[in-house]
Amino acid sequence: MSTKGTRIPDWLKVPFAGITPGPSQDKGQNLFPTGNWRSIRPVYRDKLPPCNNACGTNEKIQGYLDLVKRGKYLDAYALIKEDMPFPSVTGRVCYHPCEQACNRGKYDEAISIRAVERFLGDLGQSLKHDVVEAGPSNGKKVAVVGSGPAGHSAAYQLARIGYKVTILEKSSKAGGLNRGGIPDWVLPQHILDREIERLIELGIAIKTNCEVGKDVSWDDLKRDYDACVLAIGLTEPNGVRAEGEDKEGVLYGLPFLRDIGMGTSKVKLGPRVAVIGGGNTAIDCAREALRQGAIEVTMITVEANTDEMPCSPEDLHDMLEEGVDLWHGRALTAVLGAGKVETLQLHPARFSGAINASPITINRNVPAERFAVDNVIIAVGQRASIDWLPQEFKNERGTIKIDRFGRLGDTNFFAAGDIAQFGSGQPLMVVNAVGDGKRVAFNLDKALRGEPLQPRTVAVDVIMDLNRMNMTYFPHFPRAHQSMLSPVTRRKTQVEVIQGFSEKQASEEAGRCFSCGTCNACDNCYLVCPEPCIARPERSNGLYKILVDYCKGCRVCIEECPTGCLEGVPELDFDTGVVRMDTAFAISPGLHGRQAEELLNLASRPAKDI
Amino acid sequence: MATYIQIDPTQKLDPFKSVKKLPLEEYFTSGHRTCQGCESALVMKMMAKAAGPRSIILGSTGCMYVANTTYYSTSWVVPWMHTQLGSSGSAALGTSAALKVLMRKGKIKNEPINVIAFCGDGGGADMGVGAISATLTHAEYNSLILMYDNESYANTDIQLSGSTPWGANTTFSSPGKVKRIMHRRWKKNMAGMMAAGHPECKYVATICMSYGLHGMNSIRKALAIGGPTFIHSLDPCPKGWDYDPYLSHEMGELAVNSGVWPLYEVENGLLRLTGRTEQIAAGKIRRVPVRDYLLKQGRFAHFTNDDIDYFQSKIDDMWEKWLIPGVIPFRRDVEADTPPSS
Repeated sequence: MSTKGTRIPDWLKVPFAGITPGPSQDKGQNLFPTGNWRSIRPVYRDKLPPCNNACGTNEKIQGYLDLVKRGKYLDAYALIKEDMPFPSVTGRVCYHPCEQACNRGKYDEAISIRAVERFLGDLGQSLKHDVVEAGPSNGKKVAVVGSGPAGHSAAYQLARIGYKVTILEKSSKAGGLNRGGIPDWVLPQHILDREIERLIELGIAIKTNCEVGKDVSWDDLKRDYDACVLAIGLTEPNGVRAEGEDKEGVLYGLPFLRDIGMGTSKVKLGPRVAVIGGGNTAIDCAREALRQGAIEVTMITVEANTDEMPCSPEDLHDMLEEGVDLWHGRALTAVLGAGKVETLQLHPARFSGAINASPITINRNVPAERFAVDNVIIAVGQRASIDWLPQEFKNERGTIKIDRFGRLGDTNFFAAGDIAQFGSGQPLMVVNAVGDGKRVAFNLDKALRGEPLQPRTVAVDVIMDLNRMNMTYFPHFPRAHQSMLSPVTRRKTQVEVIQGFSEKQASEEAGRCFSCGTCNACDNCYLVCPEPCIARPERSNGLYKILVDYCKGCRVCIEECPTGCLEGVPELDFDTGVVRMDTAFAISPGLHGRQAEELLNLASRPAKDI
Repeated sequence: MATYIQIDPTQKLDPFKSVKKLPLEEYFTSGHRTCQGCESALVMKMMAKAAGPRSIILGSTGCMYVANTTYYSTSWVVPWMHTQLGSSGSAALGTSAALKVLMRKGKIKNEPINVIAFCGDGGGADMGVGAISATLTHAEYNSLILMYDNESYANTDIQLSGSTPWGANTTFSSPGKVKRIMHRRWKKNMAGMMAAGHPECKYVATICMSYGLHGMNSIRKALAIGGPTFIHSLDPCPKGWDYDPYLSHEMGELAVNSGVWPLYEVENGLLRLTGRTEQIAAGKIRRVPVRDYLLKQGRFAHFTNDDIDYFQSKIDDMWEKWLIPGVIPFRRDVEADTPPSS
């Protein structure tokens, strides 16, 4: 160690017996700033957990699981509400991309995140007052067209910012796809009603029976509001271009579900029902058909096997359990019968190409199959109904032409949800619509304030590699499963099929979370540091402080960090806190000095408190 | 006997329930000059934390004396004193006796004070066995002797000690072309020896600070139980064992999980396997092959497969053939011991 240029303080000069006083205890500590041995410095850097990244609305999943683990349910609910207006709904209906991405899935079984979300959502439903409040009013009015997931989310976020929001809904009840597209036995109506009450509590006005293009025009929207979010969704069902598709007894998936959801259904199904299509809506239709009185339900898909079907495997499994037959590789080419459906004509077919833009190859050279049915439900996707929109904002896909921020040209109109995401490669799911609504709401706010808009954020450093964490700290532990009604009982009732978690189950399940890449205050670094140079200023939190003057850079804490939050950064990358070799003395006091006051008081404290 | 021997009250030290419940104060602080990744320093830190501020710490010569107390400065916040190399036992006994007298004469307040003497494996298992043994026979003096065992004389450049395991490379037993295995003795079983031979000693334990909470709770138990007690701690040493410092913690875990280092405690004559060792003995987890432990260390880098197999067979013997597995190496039958030729 070179001492060139170093001023040696008086109290550290070589002592002469009886002349120079030795250094006092706390100053003597400063003599050895062992930080100058270090070549790699431990740094706390939170990474993005894969669940947060995969979530359509980037919920802070790791954050709320951690809070649930500690029993802070209300904080967890408040955290989830930052990104998600209705956890009780998505806790039931979400296709949980988070669980597919969960790192625990590579280790034993993925965490049942959706069930924990539902637990929190149900907790929120039971609160008298919601934890979220409307922001301070900024006097601007925004119309949100459509009250489905995207509209709900956009309205919610705008109200939180401080806008006066009016939702325009064409049906008699608000809820959009949440009400009309999701059956009761997945999402009971009273849950959704409560979430919509929450919106009204935020000061949002909901105008039902108000259809844009009929009751309100484009110009009305432009005149009456400062800005507008179009979350109109895809409402019109696609046909299959088969002969005789207009015969009586031919139903379409979404209107079929919508009428049942809105309570306006007059359909009476016969005993034999066929469902055309292999997506989630088709599955819901098939299962709903059983509940509406059908005895034999057959699903006919173009896809060659179950893996190719664009649906959630769990729902498919539950559907098969309820006794629905599944036929693959066939397309409906004609509906036969005298005025009413009697027989379906099917040809072998092959699905080729991307989802939602499906070129289907039908082989008409082989003899057709005939299949006798009483009703057929066609659920092969939806399209938009935007005749009222000015021509300049329509695109060739039949949806709204928007830029990458969701904005229509340079107007204050934005589009969100399925109508904006159709054909963009994003799955058309509730949670993606919610996320889109959230992002559009923030961009709308920026546009009105004249700030630059923000594109969809690109994820940085998602922690996907288990080797970056320390797996010795995580014992194998099976996933908690939600109880379900048995297939025999559930296939005839509208009672909710999947049951929620108890408090114990929820906290146990949250306890399985690795907290990938994120400090969850486990105190391990603090415990294993041999220096000790990792200080914990307060007992309750995880904000550790590394005393860089003393950290020797042994990297034990980095190796032993269970979550992979701590990482080693070469010392040369830093220009602060560096202890140079020619600095013989530490610039800040060591733990001795830091603790000086507490230690002085120790003597007066009773032994049992220490 | 009870009428003659009056044991002073000890501090009431309940076990720490979790890491979150540890006191925030450090009584062994930063700025000491142990090597990067020194597990012995971790033992000192945890020992001081477990004992609390009403303690006197006595250290015999060794790493933890040389590195922690240099040029008028010390890392100890609690009172600390250096003792001679082989005399940690006598220093503990003497200090405890002196405190007793001072309190009896009213010169200091009569209150329970922890007396802890630590020694290295050289100071404890080689030179100081006699003094430690003597201390453990004096039931009326409360003290704890903690032996931190890094399996060599590490501060004077890794010489062979009584605790060095079979075959390890030290500066006194470097392998060469002619003879590969230069050290043909097995590690001294200090904890077993102290537990078996000292009826007055109420508590003997083995710990490894890779399992910090377990280690701290053992120390608290030893201090609270009264009378002389002994704890043997295995400390991986990055320099002496020749591995990268960041593996320090993992090395301790491997020592325990491979069965090389059994964790147990003998409390009032009652033997109990503790921590991971208990789970290994109960068959809940399998022992890690010794190979994983040995080959991470440079001091065993010269081992051939035969050597590793032999080492493994000795560890298997320890668990399968010893009368008290992992603790006391008595056997029922005489068996041929055939170490690999070097």
